[in-house]
Amino acid sequence: MKELTPLSEIAVPRPGPEQVYRSRFFAQDFAFQGLKRLLGAADCSKAGDRHAGLAASSETEREVARTILSNLTLQHLYDNPLTDADDKVDSVMAVNYDIDHAAFAELAGLTLGEVKNQLLRAGAVEVQRMGQAMTGVMAAALAKLCDVHELIYLARKITRPTRARTLLGTPGTLSSRLQGNHPTDDLRGITFLFYWGLSLGTGDALIGLNPAIDTVDNISSVLHHLDKLRRRTGAPTQICVLAHIKTQLACLERGVPVEVIFQSLGGTDRTNNEFDITVDLLDHAYRVMVEKGPLRDIAEQFMYFETGQGSEYSYGKHNGIDMTTSEALCYGLARRYDPFMVNNVTGFIGPETHLDNFEMVLANLQDHFMGKLLGLPMGMAPCFTLHSNITLEGQQIATELLTAAGANYFMDVGLNTDRMLAYFDTSGHDNQTLREIHGKRLAPEYLEWGLNRGIFTLDAQGTVLRGPRWGDPRQFCESDAEYQELLAATPALCGLENAGPRPANAVARQVRLNQGVGRAAIHAELRIDDLQRIAPFRVITTEASSKEAHLGSPDLGARISAQSIEWLTPENRQVQIVVSDGLSAEAVHHNMNDLLPVLFDGFAGRSFTTGQPIAARYGRVKLAEPLAEKLRCDVVVYLIGERPGGDALASRSLSAYLVYRLGDPDIQKQAARFSGNAGICFEYTVISNIYSGGLPPAEAGGVIVERVSEILSRKAAGNRLMSLVKQG
Amino acid sequence: MSESVKLIGLDFGTTTSIAVVALARLCRTAVGRMELGFQEEVFRSEMVFTPLLPDGRLDLARVESLLNGWLQAGHVHTDELFGGGALLTGLTAQKENAAGLVSLIRRRLGDALIATADDPCLESWLAFMGNCAGLARQHPGLAILNLDIGGGTTNIALGISGQVTRTGCLFLGARHVELVPGSYRIVRLSAHARALFDQVQISKGLGDELTSTEVDVIMSFYLTLLEAVCTGNREPFQNSIASLLEQARFQMPAEVGDIAVTFSGGVGELIYRYLQGQPWPATTHFGDLGIDLAQRIVQAPIWAESLRRIRPESGGRATVYGLLRHATEVSGSSLFLGNADILPLADLPILGNLRGDSPDFQVHDVLRLVRQSSCGGGIQLQLGTHDASVVRDVGQRIARFLQEDAFPARHPLVFLMEENLGKVLGQYVTRWGALPLRVLVIDEIPRRDAQYVRIGLPRNQVVPVSYYGFLPHGDRS
Repeated sequence: MKELTPLSEIAVPRPGPEQVYRSRFFAQDFAFQGLKRLLGAADCSKAGDRHAGLAASSETEREVARTILSNLTLQHLYDNPLTDADDKVDSVMAVNYDIDHAAFAELAGLTLGEVKNQLLRAGAVEVQRMGQAMTGVMAAALAKLCDVHELIYLARKITRPTRARTLLGTPGTLSSRLQGNHPTDDLRGITFLFYWGLSLGTGDALIGLNPAIDTVDNISSVLHHLDKLRRRTGAPTQICVLAHIKTQLACLERGVPVEVIFQSLGGTDRTNNEFDITVDLLDHAYRVMVEKGPLRDIAEQFMYFETGQGSEYSYGKHNGIDMTTSEALCYGLARRYDPFMVNNVTGFIGPETHLDNFEMVLANLQDHFMGKLLGLPMGMAPCFTLHSNITLEGQQIATELLTAAGANYFMDVGLNTDRMLAYFDTSGHDNQTLREIHGKRLAPEYLEWGLNRGIFTLDAQGTVLRGPRWGDPRQFCESDAEYQELLAATPALCGLENAGPRPANAVARQVRLNQGVGRAAIHAELRIDDLQRIAPFRVITTEASSKEAHLGSPDLGARISAQSIEWLTPENRQVQIVVSDGLSAEAVHHNMNDLLPVLFDGFAGRSFTTGQPIAARYGRVKLAEPLAEKLRCDVVVYLIGERPGGDALASRSLSAYLVYRLGDPDIQKQAARFSGNAGICFEYTVISNIYSGGLPPAEAGGVIVERVSEILSRKAAGNRLMSLVKQG
Repeated sequence: MSESVKLIGLDFGTTTSIAVVALARLCRTAVGRMELGFQEEVFRSEMVFTPLLPDGRLDLARVESLLNGWLQAGHVHTDELFGGGALLTGLTAQKENAAGLVSLIRRRLGDALIATADDPCLESWLAFMGNCAGLARQHPGLAILNLDIGGGTTNIALGISGQVTRTGCLFLGARHVELVPGSYRIVRLSAHARALFDQVQISKGLGDELTSTEVDVIMSFYLTLLEAVCTGNREPFQNSIASLLEQARFQMPAEVGDIAVTFSGGVGELIYRYLQGQPWPATTHFGDLGIDLAQRIVQAPIWAESLRRIRPESGGRATVYGLLRHATEVSGSSLFLGNADILPLADLPILGNLRGDSPDFQVHDVLRLVRQSSCGGGIQLQLGTHDASVVRDVGQRIARFLQEDAFPARHPLVFLMEENLGKVLGQYVTRWGALPLRVLVIDEIPRRDAQYVRIGLPRNQVVPVSYYGFLPHGDRS
């Protein structure tokens, strides 16, 4: 196993003063203040970089930046580490300097343009060696100089096989991670998606589940279940539940089969603080897996990281570094642990980082190239949410290009629709289609299993074909009764019929119809007149002045506009109802007629003082906080539309955030002690899934009134309230 | 997150008794409802002869010993049981000391689970669910008639899409005539058998051997009744002996259409084993007429198509599996438990049914009935909608009557409703907590034609609910 270089032994140059990079082109002067700004301007324009003020303002400016970048030497990039807000080199950046110094010495004097040319001319072995000489910043700089052909051509030269039970990433293979997420971790639904995925020939890289509930008990239960299914089906693969790394370590201590350990990574220490991880913690996890991991005797790697452009920006912790470079820094960190898999989920966050198909596709190609160059086994998950302008077509274009570029694996999310995370990813059908179009095979151990089961067959020429049992999840069930039970527990199933490697047309139509309904809900406007027919709403505005601004910049909808702040004054009521569209105005309009009358009855029946209800167009959840402060109310009952996913009816789903203002200093101290956050100002209790297919709105009204009563009587919300209720 | 719970099924039948213990998971579905899923049997007893004293009564000492052994082998602790129950079925339920066994079981299993005797329509319902629930899911829209033929009774249930609509029961079974195994020499005759012998002029008694003609006559009588049940023909039940055999009348609905017939119970088990290629056991191997009855059913043209087409799930164990898997309903998770300290509730009488549009006098009358009942009572409620205006109207009307009548604060009043509106109804009924009442509203519970209900302790925000004292006709008006 790889020895981890102690952080203190990694040499990093001392950062110097910021340099201004200047150029004159076509009688126009250009100046870039510092390397971060230059790197940002050299990239293609993406929403996150635009919002951060890093993107070039014109194509000319971008090309000037690229030209300047092309003429910088690798040594220059080496000598100028990017720093954090305190002008210090953080640990992620430091880890990026753990490179092959001998290889670096051979390249140090070359300009980036020369390095790119050398990469294009070099053979596979030399390209891989060059990659080991580079930091993430160098890889990112090169990515910005490459066009689409170059990103694919270069990445394709690099193979990065890894081994656990299966051997991944050998030339000519395309594997997949089976991601059978369920909104409540219902083991029956998880089992169905497991069986369905196996029947489609997916999961040779990993059976990996994102849990809805991140507790040691739940993760243990799900891991034991996945282990049982793996043994029962005999599928040669490995399992993982993508809980926080601390939860997984606690599970491992209990003897739970944590075969591959997972963690999301950020490209700055400040982002990783948000994830509650440090390099020291990752080092510890790596060593524990070496010593105690259940696959330690057969696997060569057993760590799994997930990254994606924009997480640093979306947390506001990017240190002025552009999204591509931040992403490359994640790879420099991941490389330290010789991972089994790295998965890139660029497109997951939303339009604030990647607005449309172009931005998402190009970012994916950049990420794949950078990861491969730095020596990582890159799997790709080009994906989207319905509140961006990215579409299934754009995602499919990305997968075709990434397969051509030699991605190690994709996801299998049944019919592209993640049932828990409300986003859209690649499917088992997509993976099979890509294998057939590009002549790719599965991991050899898994393929043999699939051939034995009749999921695949071989023709006379040895070509792998879909077998008679391909796409039939019933084959893994002991009885039809079991199959029916599993089926009934799985949401958003639009049908199981196949046509070739694709879902049958009727199935595809239903999937796309659902997406259409979801997008319509997001883009629908809040109808204030309709609300005022139910109750005398007063209307405020946020800093988001349009739907586009609201969707593209989440922070705008979290702030009250200057105009509205003027007339909001302290009212000192116990309860304030606020209604906002959030990401689905349809959710508001489909629930308010039944929800609001119950709330009014309930608050009156309990004799709570209430403010006149407020409607806010283009609002985000955090808007509740300045409103509570301004009005000096105890609890804001904030009713807001949830982000639509792949279930048409669920696009009408509303959440109620009960936001308790910690106005009493003594209560604030108790909350600070409980949470460990000295500056805590609000506590949240959330009631979600309010719609006719989930918690009916009238019933939700009863639940909300009861919770608000508890919050007011116990002067607590969220986990602290639950804890007090448990104590009795 | 799912939670593991334990279920038990105990079936003390005319001939045999069996216990099954299973682990199940309380799973939260994608829409937030809790369900019992993924059952895994952890213990199944041998099928044993139900212990009887020489005088024909139940041997309670031996039953207690059996029960202790089963509970120990299944690692059952009373407080961890979430669902299931115990049934005395067939002729066992008719024994004069059957109540003693029920008391014994209740002492051992606690109040949360049903333990009952002489509840033939519950038995029919459970046998259907145990045998046909999966079939019903496979064949939505198909009417399935299940005949659970045991030692003493034939429990009849008709269901469509998993919903039982009609039930009934006949004292028709394998063991009314007990024989020396390997022969037709009579060892014991039930009262029903004696009456039948009189009717068909068989003058045989203990120690006598039945001729093949006499066996044919008995079988022919039984088959005529079973065929009449399946065709809805009431004519054969007009004679006195046939009507004597009708413990609970089964009424076939007129417009039911195509029906598939399934069998369960000991006779059902023999039928399907034979159809799967196993030979018939030796003549009167079990010391009764079960094998003869099974053979006649397999040969009868009326059931040939059903037997060819449909294979049910549980055969001889349908009732115990029905108990295990279907006797307990899981409530919704946003209940109104204003006074959860009154749980568990055992033997709560169901005193009425209300709808969203029930007139005031009806609402008032049902509330009065609960008030008059010494132990309080349950009211089944179907609003037929989730509209706030309807639940508000019903809740406010109930609150008004409760207040006007000064409904006693300590008197249990339980609403069982199909819709997911328990929390909000309870709030309106208690005027948002202002009326000091012992009101519970248990929601997302299907309406049953039953006289009693048991409600267990809350677990993971839900409560287990079991109905018993089933009414036969499926009258859902």
